[in-house]
Amino acid sequence: MQPRKVLVVDDSKLMHKMYEVMLRQYPLVYASDGRQALDRLQEHPDIDLVLLDINMPNMNGLEFLAELRSDAAHANLQVIIISTEGREEDTARGIEAGATAYIKKPFHSEEILEVISRLEKKGAA
Amino acid sequence: MNERSGMTESGRLSSTAVPGRDLLGELRSTLEKANELLRVVEASQQGAAVREAGTAEERIAELERRLSTAESDVKELASRLVDSEHQGGRLMNLYVATYQLHATLDPAEVQATIAEIAINLLGAEQFALLLRRDDVPGEEDPGYEIALIEGMYDEVENPYSGDSYAGGDPMVDQTLRDGVLRLGPTSESQALAAVPLRVQNEIVGALVLLKLLDHKPILRAEDRDLLDLLSAHAASAMFAARLFATKDRKLRTLESLVKLARGE
Repeated sequence: MQPRKVLVVDDSKLMHKMYEVMLRQYPLVYASDGRQALDRLQEHPDIDLVLLDINMPNMNGLEFLAELRSDAAHANLQVIIISTEGREEDTARGIEAGATAYIKKPFHSEEILEVISRLEKKGAA
Repeated sequence: MNERSGMTESGRLSSTAVPGRDLLGELRSTLEKANELLRVVEASQQGAAVREAGTAEERIAELERRLSTAESDVKELASRLVDSEHQGGRLMNLYVATYQLHATLDPAEVQATIAEIAINLLGAEQFALLLRRDDVPGEEDPGYEIALIEGMYDEVENPYSGDSYAGGDPMVDQTLRDGVLRLGPTSESQALAAVPLRVQNEIVGALVLLKLLDHKPILRAEDRDLLDLLSAHAASAMFAARLFATKDRKLRTLESLVKLARGE
C-alpha cells in the first residue's frame, strides 16, 4: 500500500530538496527537527511514513522516535532512519528504538525507493 | 444315396468346393492385403511418431534457445536499468546540489549548503573550506581564511587550526596555486581531495576533504562529478552572496543617510 503522506525530518535544506525530487510521487511534509516533526504529525494525521535523520538540533532523531513510540496512536507508523551515523551499534540502536529500517548517508536513491517499496508490499500483504 | 444324387451330391460338393477355394484364396489374399495395409499403417504411424518426436525435440531446442536469448536480454536490460538508475541518482545529486547552492543570497546559507553537500552527498567527516581574504590595500597576499571547518574539534595542531590557512599542506598549496583538482592522500599530504574554487577562472579558495565517514571507504567515480560541480559553482554562489550582502549593506547605509539628510 502506497504511503498516503511522508514526513521528512532533516535539518538540511539540501536533503529536503533531495527528497522532493526523489519522492515526487508521494505527498511530502517537512520538519527540521524532532519537535517540529511531532507538530507535523498532529497537523497531518494521514502521515504513515517518516524519513528520519538522527543529528538534528532541539530534538534529535532518537529522542523523537522515543516520543513517537510512547504514543499508542503512532504505534504502527513506519520510520526509516537515514543518517550519517553508520556504525553497527548506531543501526542497532535505531532499530531497537523502533525504526523499521536504517539507511546510511550518503545513499543511492534506489536504496530508499526499495525500502519504501518493500514496506508497501508488506502493508498490502 | 443314389449315383445321381451321389453325383449330384458329389457334383454339388465339387461345385461348392471350387468357389470355397476361391473364397479362401480371396480371403487369404484379402488377409495378406490387410496385413500389408496394417504394416503400412504401422510403419506410417511409427514414421509419424518419429517425425513428431523429432519436431518436438526441435521445438524444445528452439524454445530453449529463445529462452536463453530472453534471459540474456533480461540480464542486459537489468544491468542497463541499474546503470540508468545510478546515472539518474548522480544527475539528481548534481541537480539538487546546484539548485541549493544558488537558491540563496545569504553567504551563511551558501556555506551551510557546501557543508551539507560534503557531508550528505560526499560522505565527508572532516573537511575545511578555505576562502581568499578580501584584498587589503598595501598587503600583497591577503591569504586564506578557514571559512568552515568540520569534524576536527579535537585535532592537534595542523594547517587547518585557527582562523587562517597559511599553507602547510603541499597538495592544497599546489591546488591553490594552479587551480587543479587533486585527489589524495599522497606521500606529502593526508588530504583526500583538494577542490579548487573558481570564479571566472580565478582561484578564490579550496574545499579540502580530509576524512570520509567510516562506512564510506573511498571517493567513488560519481563523487568526481560532485567535486567538479563544487569547483565550478560553490565559489560563484559564495561570491554572489557576499557581493549581494555587501551591496545590500551599502544600500541600507545610503538609505539611512538619505533619510537623515531629509530629516525623516
